[in-house]
Amino acid sequence: MKHAFPYLLLPTFWAARNRARRREPGDALRATLFGGIGIFVMVSIFAVVFWLTWQLLDYEELGEYLVRLGLSWLFLTFLSFVAFSAIVTSLSTFFLSEDLRLLLAAPVPPDRLFHSRFARTVGQASWMVVVFMVPVLLGIGMVRCAGWSYYATIFATIVPFVLIPSAFGAIVTLALVNIFPARRARDILMLMGLLFAVTLVLLLRFIRPERLLSVQSLPDVTAFFATLQSPVTPLFPSFWAGESLFTALQGGVDGLHLGALWTTALALVVIARAAYHRLYFVGWSKAQEARKARFGKLRGLEVLARMLPASPASRVILVKDLKVFLRDTTQWSQLLLLVALVLVYLYNFRILDLDRIPYMSGLVKNAYAFVNLAMAAFVLSAVAVRFVFPAVSAEGSSFWIVRTAPVSMRLFLWSKFWTGLVPVLLLAEGLTIVSNEFLGVDLFLKVLCAAAVFFMTFALVGLAAGMGAQFPRFSAENVTQVAGSYGGIAFMILAVLFILVEIALLAWPSSVYLWHQFQEVPLAPRHYLQMAVAFSAALSICVATFWLPMRKGVRALESLG
Amino acid sequence: MIQVENLVKRYGKFTAVDGVSLDVPAGEIHGFLGPNGAGKTTTIRIIAGLLKPTSGRVAIAGHDLASEAEAAKGALGFIPDRPFLYDKLTAGEFLRFHAGLYGLEGDGVETRVAELLGLFELTKWEGELLESFSHGMKQRLVMCAAFLHRPRGVLVDEPMVGLDPRGARLIKDVFRQMAKKGVAILMSTHTLEVAQEMCDRISIILNGKIIAHGTVGELRAASGDGDEELTPVFLRLTGGSGFQEIPDAL
Repeated sequence: MKHAFPYLLLPTFWAARNRARRREPGDALRATLFGGIGIFVMVSIFAVVFWLTWQLLDYEELGEYLVRLGLSWLFLTFLSFVAFSAIVTSLSTFFLSEDLRLLLAAPVPPDRLFHSRFARTVGQASWMVVVFMVPVLLGIGMVRCAGWSYYATIFATIVPFVLIPSAFGAIVTLALVNIFPARRARDILMLMGLLFAVTLVLLLRFIRPERLLSVQSLPDVTAFFATLQSPVTPLFPSFWAGESLFTALQGGVDGLHLGALWTTALALVVIARAAYHRLYFVGWSKAQEARKARFGKLRGLEVLARMLPASPASRVILVKDLKVFLRDTTQWSQLLLLVALVLVYLYNFRILDLDRIPYMSGLVKNAYAFVNLAMAAFVLSAVAVRFVFPAVSAEGSSFWIVRTAPVSMRLFLWSKFWTGLVPVLLLAEGLTIVSNEFLGVDLFLKVLCAAAVFFMTFALVGLAAGMGAQFPRFSAENVTQVAGSYGGIAFMILAVLFILVEIALLAWPSSVYLWHQFQEVPLAPRHYLQMAVAFSAALSICVATFWLPMRKGVRALESLG
Repeated sequence: MIQVENLVKRYGKFTAVDGVSLDVPAGEIHGFLGPNGAGKTTTIRIIAGLLKPTSGRVAIAGHDLASEAEAAKGALGFIPDRPFLYDKLTAGEFLRFHAGLYGLEGDGVETRVAELLGLFELTKWEGELLESFSHGMKQRLVMCAAFLHRPRGVLVDEPMVGLDPRGARLIKDVFRQMAKKGVAILMSTHTLEVAQEMCDRISIILNGKIIAHGTVGELRAASGDGDEELTPVFLRLTGGSGFQEIPDAL
């Protein structure tokens, strides 16, 4: 091969260009929605950082210290993020990509293959960090009226800063694949990453940062800063990056730390290339070997399924779906994050001290019951879009097995519905009942919310299963892609509209009832009529939201091809 | 047993299948040949119930595929050219899942699963995940599944792809035995030697239309050639070899 290594990146650019040219239904909506969210988040980050830095200007030395500490923390957080991301991405770019067989069979010099794969790793592992880091650094620079050298230093710092963890990640992966098979290593890493995220979420919540806002805890602030200072070590590239930028902010050039960043980055790339020469082909060969993985037999599922009052076809579809889900680490491990979020959700209600508002606590508690209902419904929509909506698409290329079998598409889709409904219903009812108990809301609302969430779960699971059948993505590589597809986004928009309408229809008559109860005034017959009409409308909308998409979904599956 | 009448499939202005009719009686192995892009796989996918035809009728064991889809599919066994399966199931679990889809239950299922795994030499792999199977092993497992419910008609798309010589020999023997027992087999293939060796009758499709059908002898006569082999007959019927261009290209 005569061309330099960027030649090997051309297929990626061509594929992206062709994808952009060939529009699919929903592309515009998706681009607007995701692009809008991205721009909104970037602008918000910029605004928050701008405001914070502006406030810190009033505190002179302390302000300077906090900006310096903040930069080090920012880079430390992103350093760990890029390093972990690079380990996972390297598995894909160096070992699991489909095009590797073609490239390895071609007369491509190893160095060029390494450089092209490493460039892909750096890009994929760090683009998100760069996108979110830029508004932060711009915000700080603009408040401090930094000169052009600051903006040049941003570029000179970020490039080696992302190269260092990316090269580290590639080295770790090259070593890991020589110990574990590539696919198993990916499963282990996915699990570790999720456990890391779960621990972080739980830790951040349970240290109750809101206590810092309370005047009584002011003496703790010094200890708090001492804790912040401890992990910022001068030996980390994050410290060098922070120092370089802080010096540039003051109009200087920190040659020492910039030099440390660049020399470390280049040295690590050289080490990664040496590791590639030494370890890659052995690891690649191991990754190709068929493996006999250890897995759970899950025989209990078959015993349980036999007890269900369902047809043999429904039972085997249920057992198959559960086994495939439970044996796929990338799928079941997401439940861990869900459990963490549920715990944080319930914990928030547990520590919510509404009795601090003496006269209004009863009213606020009852209003919170509806906020809680809406929140629980949003949680279950998110769960439905992730676990129920992709259920049909998850059949993927294997869908021919069901389609050529004497099984109606109605039975197939209803099996998917029931498989999704039971766990989601348990989750939704559990969340609502427990959080209302923590809140101590009126008995009437406890019963109403439990009943409402029951019907809303049917509606949202039906909507997810039905729309998943109407907008399947059988060619998707993973379920996350399905959830983020046009159909998935359309589902989320409809789900949010449905929840808002339901809450309005339930909250209005309930407030009338509770107000009369609070005032100790009997309800007039017209109030009963209004309540009956509102509750019936809420129920009818639930039935329609559940039934119509399911019917359309069955028709869509029947007319496939 | 497998009846196809005036099947048409259009994609916009392009007609992939143009009035195809076939009749495979019980006990016959019928070869379905044609060059790439002739409409073979589209026809096979319509008969399997994977594609909706623009017009025409398919019946399996007397059951109309459009109006009695479940009965028709229940009488058919389908073996696709590319065996996409559920990677996270074991071979045994996959066959039990397949049995459930076809309404089979009880102790008979276990006996049948063991019998077929033995026949296709997969017994020792029964408890292994399908993600560790080679293409040929998956192909043999799909055949186990297709025969599990004792179908009256079998539809095969490229049966020999990915099979080693031993596996190919086994499949040929199995098909012959099944035909003797009265099963109708419609087999699409590019391997003309296999078609010549196994098929009682052959239909050749070109540009979506059946251009010839009959026994190998009848096809030879139709092509106006005395060749013993099916390959030159096939090439003549489907528009020549185009071999004269090869030396220049090389």
